Amino acid sequence: MDVISHFRQESRTYAALGFVAICVIVLPVVIDSIWVKVLTSAVIFTLAAYGISLLYSQLGLVNLSQVALIGVGGWIMLRLNYAVQFPFELNLLVSAVITAFIGMILALPAMRMKGLYLALITLMVAGGFQIIFSAIQFPNGGAGFLGVALQSPGEMRRPLIAESDTAYLRYSIIVVVLGVMLAAAHNRGRPGRAWAMIRKSEANAMAAGVNVTLYKLWCFTLSGFLAGVSGGLLAGALKILDAKSFPAGESILLFALTIVGGVGHWMGAVIAGFLYRVVPAIFNTIGIDADLSLVIFGAALLHAIMTAPNGIAGQLSSLFQSLGRQNK
Amino acid sequence: MIRISDLSVHFGGVVALDNITVDIKDDIVGVIGPNGAGKTTLVNVLSGFVLPDSGTVDVEGVDLLSLAPHMRARWGLARSFQKVQTADNLTVADNIWVSLDTSASPGMKKHAALNRVLDYVGLADMADVPAYKLNPCQRRMTELARCLVASPRIVLLDEPGGGLSEIEVDKLRQVIGNIKTIFGAQVLLIDHDVELIKSVCSKTMVLDFGELIAFGPTETVLQDENVKAAYLGTEIKV
Repeated sequence: MDVISHFRQESRTYAALGFVAICVIVLPVVIDSIWVKVLTSAVIFTLAAYGISLLYSQLGLVNLSQVALIGVGGWIMLRLNYAVQFPFELNLLVSAVITAFIGMILALPAMRMKGLYLALITLMVAGGFQIIFSAIQFPNGGAGFLGVALQSPGEMRRPLIAESDTAYLRYSIIVVVLGVMLAAAHNRGRPGRAWAMIRKSEANAMAAGVNVTLYKLWCFTLSGFLAGVSGGLLAGALKILDAKSFPAGESILLFALTIVGGVGHWMGAVIAGFLYRVVPAIFNTIGIDADLSLVIFGAALLHAIMTAPNGIAGQLSSLFQSLGRQNK
Repeated sequence: MIRISDLSVHFGGVVALDNITVDIKDDIVGVIGPNGAGKTTLVNVLSGFVLPDSGTVDVEGVDLLSLAPHMRARWGLARSFQKVQTADNLTVADNIWVSLDTSASPGMKKHAALNRVLDYVGLADMADVPAYKLNPCQRRMTELARCLVASPRIVLLDEPGGGLSEIEVDKLRQVIGNIKTIFGAQVLLIDHDVELIKSVCSKTMVLDFGELIAFGPTETVLQDENVKAAYLGTEIKV
C-alpha cells in the first residue's frame, strides 16, 4: 500500500511539474500578444486565489479582502519602484512582506470570529481599501509620498531577465509556482498539522499544546503574503494600476471562483485564476458581453456548492483516478 | 502529585464544583459520579478550559491555573476528550506529531518516540493511514498516543471507553494500566465503566452534584453506602 501511495504521490508531482513546464515553455510561444497579457494576469491571480484557498481549506475561514490586499501589494510595489533603485525581486519581496504584515494586523480583531461575521469584517476591510485607493490613487512616478503625477507618468521597471511580455509571463509563472510551493511546504509541515488540529476543534488543538491564535495569524499572514506577491507582479505586468480595479466586490468574486475551482488543491487556484481573467476575455473576443461571465460564475458556484464540494479540481482528479483504475 | 485546594466552579446558579480539596498521589486515579456531577468540569479546570471561581491547583510546585491552556499542554498536561478528536485529513502519525511539534523536550528523539508510542497502542502498521479511515477504537488509540508521545507528566482521560466494545475496552485497559510504568505519567481516568475503573485505578474519587463525596482505595469507595446511593442507586424504602 505504501508503494502505491508513494507512486501516486510521485505521479502527482510529475503531473504538476509537467503542467508547469508546458505553461512556461509552450504557452508563451503559441499564443499572441493580447493573450499573453490575459494569461499573465490569470497566473498572477492564481497565487492570490491560492491564499484564499489556504485559509478556507486549512482553517475554514472566509477571506473577502484578498483583492484589496492585492491592491495593497501593488501600491507598495509601485511606490518602491519610483522611490528606490532596488532590483525588482527585492521590491517584490518587500511589498509582499509589508502586505503580509498588514494582512496580519487586519486579522487580529477577526481572531475570535468565524463564518459569516469574519466574512463581513473582511468585506468591510475590502470596502475600506476601495475608498483609500480611490482617495490616494496608485503611484505613477509623481512627486511626494503618494507619488501621483497627472501627466507624463514614470516607468515601472520589470525584472532585467523579463523585460518583454512573453518573458514576464514565464517569470510570473515561476514566481507563482514558488509561492504555491511555499504554501504547500507549510501545509505538509508543522503549521499544516496545527491548522488541521485547529480546524477539527480549537479546544483540542489547545489541549495538544498548539498556540491557536499564533497559527491562525500565521495562516492569515501567509495568505496576505501571497496576495502581496500577486499585487507586486500585477504592478509589473500592467505598469500602471487603476484604483477602480480593486473594488470590494472583486474580492467576493475571486473567493467564489476559488470555491468553484476547488479549495485545498493548487489546480483549483489555477482554475480560479483562469475563470477570473481568461473567461471574460474570451467572451470579449467572440463578441459577447463580458458581464455574462458573472451569470455563468453564479451558476458554477451553485453547482459547486450543491454537487462538487471539492470544486472542478476535485471533479477532475476523481475523473483521472477512475480513468487510471480502468486502465489497470 | 496534584494538590487541589478549595476548588469551586459555578455556572450561573449551578454549582459545578463545590470546594473540592484533594491530594492525588497515586499512579492511576479514577473519577466517577453520575451525569452532571462535575467530572468533566474538573478535567476542564485542570486543562484550562474552565476558569474556577476560587481555589488553587498545584502540581509538583507549579501553579497550574496561572498557565494558558496550550502552555499547560507544553508543560506536560495531556488530555483526551469525551468525543474523540482526531484531525481527519491528517495521518495517524501526523496527528501524533502535533504533540511532538509543541511539547517535545529539547533533544528528544522524535521519531523514536513516535515509533515507541505507535507500538504501545498497537497502531505501528497504520502510521500512514489518514484518520478518516480509522474505526472509533483506532481513533481513540491515536488520541491516546498523541497524549503520551511527548513524555507528559499528567494524563487526563475523559471517558476513553465510551462507545467501545468489550474486546476494545480490554485493550484500552492494558494501554491505560501501563502508562505510569512505560511513560511515567500520572493518570486521572473518568469513566462510567466501573469494571474498567476497578481494574486499573488504585484509588478513586466520587463526585456528586459538584461535591467530593468519597476518595480512597477503589474497592472501599465502591462499597461506600453514600457512593452506592449517589451513583449506583439504592432502593427507596417506602
